[in-house]
Amino acid sequence: MNTTAISRIEYLPRSRRHTLVAVALAGYPVAVAALAALKHTSLNRWLILALFLLLLLPTLATLAVGYRYARCRIDGRRARLDERDLSLRQEAYALSHRVLATILIAATAVTEIYLTSGNTLQLDASTFWPAAMWVIVYIPALPSLMLAWIETDQPADA
Amino acid sequence: MPDHQRRVHNRLAVLRAERGLSRKQLADKLGINYQTIGYIERGDYNPSLELALTIAELFRLPIEAIFSFKPMTPLSEEIFREPPAEPR
Repeated sequence: MNTTAISRIEYLPRSRRHTLVAVALAGYPVAVAALAALKHTSLNRWLILALFLLLLLPTLATLAVGYRYARCRIDGRRARLDERDLSLRQEAYALSHRVLATILIAATAVTEIYLTSGNTLQLDASTFWPAAMWVIVYIPALPSLMLAWIETDQPADA
Repeated sequence: MPDHQRRVHNRLAVLRAERGLSRKQLADKLGINYQTIGYIERGDYNPSLELALTIAELFRLPIEAIFSFKPMTPLSEEIFREPPAEPR
């Protein structure tokens, strides 16, 4: 990424960052759901894979931008984090914990309702991997996304 | 700024302009990032007591001349305000 692009990312307005976080969070489940639906069609396997990857692109792009926006402040790579950065980081971690807890509770509740309604759940590679990938990708990315969500617009330079 | 926090008004922008300091220059003197100065000036971030005292020390002013819970009146108005009439 060149310097101009990085600078533009750092000054992204809050409304755009909200859209970015929403796409990053919703993109992967949507792509997985689409993949599950496409598997039941007569489409060629490679075409399904291509469509899945195409659907995954916005998620990957928004995750990368969200990570770049908050990277230095979330992983502490910036040499000097001042008190506002530290307080913002603490807020972002607290919010990611709340979001993660909400998602896990909701997922458990939905599974419980599904199972108690007489359905069975088969745990195989096609159900395990999407869930595992979600954990691998979203748990590390959530604090960055939450920081991008909560930070107010930067004041104009003066 | 979190909703539970009271807004702290300040004269940082005026004082900075009076001394011809940019946000970056002031931030360097205070050892913070320049964006933080902008957030404080805009009232989006309330500085810690330590930072507020450091700012007061830097400008050689009492802390209440820089930060207040009430909206700040212009400095000129405060300086030239007529003192209250003495009771007879």
